Amino acid sequence: MAQVINIRVNGADQKVEIKDNELLLDVIRDKVGVKSVKAGCWRGECGLCTVLLDEKPVKSCLVLAVEADGRDVKTAEGLAPEGQLSPIQKLFVEKGAMQCGFCTPSFVLTAHHLLSVNPTPTETEIKDYLSGHICRCGTYKQMVEAILEHSRRYGQEKQATVQKARH
Amino acid sequence: MSFGSSYLTLPDFQYLKPKSLQEALRLLDEHKDDAKILAGGIGLLAFMKERLVDPRWVVDIKSVSELQTLRDDGSKGLTIGATVTMNQLLGFAPVKEKYRALRDCISLLSDPLLRNRSTLLGDVCEALPYVDGPTPLLIFDAEIEAASVKGTKRIPMNEFIKGIAETALEPNELAVAVHLKAPPENSKSLFLKHTSSSEFSIVNLAALCANPSRPESRTVRFAYGAIAPTPKRVREIEETFRRKAPVPKLIDEAVQTIIRSAEAMTDALAKAEYRSHMLEVLTIKAFRRLLGS
Repeated sequence: MAQVINIRVNGADQKVEIKDNELLLDVIRDKVGVKSVKAGCWRGECGLCTVLLDEKPVKSCLVLAVEADGRDVKTAEGLAPEGQLSPIQKLFVEKGAMQCGFCTPSFVLTAHHLLSVNPTPTETEIKDYLSGHICRCGTYKQMVEAILEHSRRYGQEKQATVQKARH
Repeated sequence: MSFGSSYLTLPDFQYLKPKSLQEALRLLDEHKDDAKILAGGIGLLAFMKERLVDPRWVVDIKSVSELQTLRDDGSKGLTIGATVTMNQLLGFAPVKEKYRALRDCISLLSDPLLRNRSTLLGDVCEALPYVDGPTPLLIFDAEIEAASVKGTKRIPMNEFIKGIAETALEPNELAVAVHLKAPPENSKSLFLKHTSSSEFSIVNLAALCANPSRPESRTVRFAYGAIAPTPKRVREIEETFRRKAPVPKLIDEAVQTIIRSAEAMTDALAKAEYRSHMLEVLTIKAFRRLLGS
């Protein structure tokens, strides 16, 4: 059955006509037109289709588009204003945390979320948190370095904000 | 969730989103086997892509507030609603403090992203041999609360899984919550598993121990899963440890009793012999950690 859903993608409200059996992944790519969300395995293994759904990372190949009705979707494009990069995006560049770049938008989103809930993660916590993603070029080491560097530069200050928000 | 086919789309279905438990149960009563429940959707959407299930109706229960319960009632136990996600459970202090085997089990499941969506009851209701959720639930004497338009009932965890992808639920029944009994005072519990080259368990176990050196309150519980079509609690060794102190000789015998009780299966993931061997390895490790021998 066709229906219209309302979703906010990277801050912009959109009305999108979808069918009940369409995946959020396909709708974001083909109907909303955001191509940084990649289709890799279509079965929840590779993590390339990660989006932030109401600020939480999920694999959009295992989410129905209709489930996102009335909700907020963020992709790598939404992490910083047009033409700019967020601190973690800059650090990915600085540390060379990519080779072909295909998986990078998804890792950046998950790293962004990790740092927003845990601004000073340990190396083990970082590795565990990234374990739902695959990078075939194998630049995991550099990604972990980029996140650790983010923690060194902004961790203390962010930690105070996170704790304030909890109280 | 790979079964080797290349389907990238979902079959046609109609999406339903009930707002109350009553409405959800009415829909399930009307459509029965033609309807499938969507909570986290990890298993369901993967199986639908593979065309292993092809429902006419998909009932999304995430807006049903009655199913979002997550409550610790101290000595009475713990209640986990059908739509509580794995990450919610990991972040819930009582699970970490008292239900360690469940916490360890969840922390080893899939990955942090999938755990933002996946649910414990979804895992249990999938009832495939390699799901890990049922095993720790067995040692906490869990009961599944099933509801239909006619009312609710509780099904003990050890009677809930009937076979591969087969549960005790009637087609018009919904698993609304799982109730865990509080573990005995001073107890420790753990969960261990061994996976094949994929993420699927070929054997898992959960064990609990309280007061090993005090005969009047000594409790040992042991359950395993993934080795055979259904998970199993091994009451025989629990009885032995109640009567006798867990000295090394008795522990060795218990390990052998456990291995003999498991009717290990051969399937695409592993051979029966390998499963039995890994059960032995994990059982020895579990007893070492819990009984300190």
